[in-house]
Amino acid sequence: MAIKLVGAQIYDPMHQIDGKQMDIGIDQEQICNADALAPDCESIDISDCIVMAGAIDLHTHIGGGKVNIARTMMIEDHQAHIHHGDHQCRAGSGHAVPSTFTAGYRYAEMGYTAGFEPAVLPINARQAHMEMADTPMIDKGGYVLLGNDDFLLQMMRDGASQSAINDYVAWVLNASQCIGIKVVNAGGVHAFKFNQRRLDVDEVSTASGVTPRQIVNVLSRAVYELGVTHPLHVHASNLGVPGNFETTIATMGAAEGVPIHLTHIQFHSYGTEGDMKFSSAACEIAEAINNNKNVTADVGQIMFGQTVTTSGDTMMQYYGHEHGSPKKWTVMDIECEMGCGVVPFRYRDKSFVNALQWSIGLEIFLQVNDPWRVFLTTDHPNGAPFTSYPHLIKLLMNRSFRNDHLSNLHPEAQRMSNLSSMDREYSLYEIAIMTRAAPAKILGLADQGHLAAGATANITVYRKQDDIEKMFAHPAYVFKNGTMIVKDGKIIETVKGVTHVVKPEYDKSIEKSLRTYFDKFQTISLDNFKISNDEMEECIGSQVVEHPCTKP
Amino acid sequence: MQFKHITCPQCGLLCDDLDVSVNDQDVTLDDNSHSVCKQFFVDAKLTDKSVLQPRINGKPCTLNEAVAHAAKLHTTAKQSIISGLIADVQACRSAFALAEKTHSVIDHANGQSMRASTAIMQRYGEVRTTLAEARNRADCIVLFGAEILTKFPRLRERILQPAETISGNTDRKIIIIDVVENTDLAADEEIEFFHLPLPNLEAAIQQLQYLASPRASAETEIEPAIRAIHQQISESNYAVLTWTASLFSKNTAEQTLQNLTFFIKESMKTQRCVGLPLSGSRGEITANQVSTWQTGFPLPVAFSSGAPEHNPVIYNAETMLTNSEADLLTWISTYSSDDTPKQYATANIVIGHPNMQCDQTVDVFIPVGIPGVDQRGLACRTDAVATLPLHSIRKNDLPSADHVLNLIYQAL
Repeated sequence: MAIKLVGAQIYDPMHQIDGKQMDIGIDQEQICNADALAPDCESIDISDCIVMAGAIDLHTHIGGGKVNIARTMMIEDHQAHIHHGDHQCRAGSGHAVPSTFTAGYRYAEMGYTAGFEPAVLPINARQAHMEMADTPMIDKGGYVLLGNDDFLLQMMRDGASQSAINDYVAWVLNASQCIGIKVVNAGGVHAFKFNQRRLDVDEVSTASGVTPRQIVNVLSRAVYELGVTHPLHVHASNLGVPGNFETTIATMGAAEGVPIHLTHIQFHSYGTEGDMKFSSAACEIAEAINNNKNVTADVGQIMFGQTVTTSGDTMMQYYGHEHGSPKKWTVMDIECEMGCGVVPFRYRDKSFVNALQWSIGLEIFLQVNDPWRVFLTTDHPNGAPFTSYPHLIKLLMNRSFRNDHLSNLHPEAQRMSNLSSMDREYSLYEIAIMTRAAPAKILGLADQGHLAAGATANITVYRKQDDIEKMFAHPAYVFKNGTMIVKDGKIIETVKGVTHVVKPEYDKSIEKSLRTYFDKFQTISLDNFKISNDEMEECIGSQVVEHPCTKP
Repeated sequence: MQFKHITCPQCGLLCDDLDVSVNDQDVTLDDNSHSVCKQFFVDAKLTDKSVLQPRINGKPCTLNEAVAHAAKLHTTAKQSIISGLIADVQACRSAFALAEKTHSVIDHANGQSMRASTAIMQRYGEVRTTLAEARNRADCIVLFGAEILTKFPRLRERILQPAETISGNTDRKIIIIDVVENTDLAADEEIEFFHLPLPNLEAAIQQLQYLASPRASAETEIEPAIRAIHQQISESNYAVLTWTASLFSKNTAEQTLQNLTFFIKESMKTQRCVGLPLSGSRGEITANQVSTWQTGFPLPVAFSSGAPEHNPVIYNAETMLTNSEADLLTWISTYSSDDTPKQYATANIVIGHPNMQCDQTVDVFIPVGIPGVDQRGLACRTDAVATLPLHSIRKNDLPSADHVLNLIYQAL
């Protein structure tokens, strides 16, 4: 089916198009030259609209065991948010950590066409993919967790070569059907199993004999040398600890110049100034990002209200559980690979710490100069549910709106923040970079995040209005692979989406030592651990789309 | 034909290291020592293909006729219940779609025994571990009830006493507490068996929890063995407490699991101590996981209004069926021929194991392939972390439960 979108203002940073009035053509699943379409094809006048590519969330916890634990624990939230189905949509529940169908619908209604689960445990990959397969409307992908697994730590302790580690990393990516590698509190989650309660970046873990810096170093190098587009995705050590900005900067240095992505960096940007011994180190962190071109970051902005934190970082989730609300928490050690911790949180604007966290996130957004290297996330649901993105965009684009909010926060937090002095207001072009073009680029999705002929027709059309938050919350039209799925903010057709993966090449002889490891120590056989493409399609329920790896 | 690395869904451990021989419709486990796994494959043997036809009130019919009749029963039902759910992920997914469309209540055959564990997770959260973590990390494992070893027969070989561990250390304390005598375990030199003079396991757990609580005092009357076990746990580096909620009384299971959770969380203040609850022998972990991600709620779920509602008191399937609060039961049971529905005063549709014996009291019986033998599938393990593939190793014309449920859905 061919459609011509006529007369809109286009924001396509991948091609340096900044608000130019143009027509967009859709032919089947792809964007095409509008002039090449037949004159009598369907035409939609959107001259009162702006157009961007479908948005991409590069860090959102939407699938896997920890998300299901969070759903179970957030019973009050689910009881309070029941979603009816209709002839198109399945029913569901939940606001902070919604059921799968609901999550897909809410993303599509905001103009998102892809979301990436950043914490896939290898042993739990099937479940994560099943949950994502049941999350309709958007494309999905996962970052598989390494860096606390006994196999890697043993390799490092034994002095394995970088190339052997690369083979292992590539094997795990292939076996788990993921698009990237994530490390969470490198070595710390493993150390916690031995009752170590903290692990600093240059501290040798008594459990594993290696330091977090060494783990980040070998994994970031492995990802780079394998040619995986997305850099090592790093949840740094000491999450939430006052003074942790030094750890974060040290973690950046651990990559030794190869690409590295620091995730939910707001939670890692804390100083120890002031009477409360808790302060913003956003300036230091932004400066470090600005000065190190190999570093990217997503923010993990917090918003006020009830949510739930779900993380692989058992060590720091246990550390923070006493601040949770309501008072319940889960911590789990998992399969000599990883762990998970789930703690509900209610961020309050009258809390000094929470108010300063809010400011710190925005300070980072506003002080990182290059929008291609800072990404818009709330670390859903840890900082806030993803449905708060339109509000966050307004905070970034409207200084007076931002300062009005700031003036209502805990007074000491206001005093400790220099947010009010920041004049910067993000432009639509910059928003398009950080929510579309840059995520597509950093994930290696060559056919997404832009609007040139040949791109997948994932397109979001916003009707211009004064209230930016409303505009981003309810697009006029959303197209997914050329199909109009949303009209006037409502779903009109449901689609499934695919799973994006990479499959770097590796020396197959790594399976020999892996098979020994599995046979001796694991509770699943190596052959059953691996997920094939046909299992993804036939049993898990999602088609795999493979993206190339380009070795440096 | 021989197959390796086959998964057995007969208990929540989902052992996947099995060698199975297939000769036409005969499937045989090569290692006879695994009694529970063996039973799954013995039960799967098909001797008479002619009985594999669907039936309406006991009379053979085509699949289309059976589906049409099932759809008609759904159309006329005032309150339908979908239960059993002794099935793989794909069948559970389709069962939820059907439940939503027919405004049914959906629950698992073991729903009642899952309630306590769900309630504790909802109210407090838990500290847990998984099978491989326990196998490799534990230096002290305490089991509450000797019957755990019967219910999960390969637990000892695979988790409690592995030949090797990652740390290289296989020297660990294995403690079993029970309130009934067990001469075999009492004579077992590798296990410390404590036969406690207490009325039930719940009392032992209550005493253990008391010792960890801030109000504990040396004067309180506590069984010396419980004090010794507490001491053992306190001195260990990675203590694993293992239970299966089905051994606890229905009325006190929630309190007992709360005691275990409080004990573990209190211990966590200074040491590593974790729980390893065991369940899933009828596929309830799989059904509950699918329920939680698709609807946002654990089982049971009622779609009476069209949207999901979770109220385990009102919507307990077994109680509703017993009290005649429903007029149609759709029973899905694919792993064992014995897992037939109880007799209730409802119309009933059974989507079942091909060797299941259903008489004329069943309105519609549709025999389906067994996941892990006839069809590929996925199943979630007791720790709710690992999902194992179930393999298709035999060829025949049996439809999958998923396919049959979809046909009924489409016929509505």
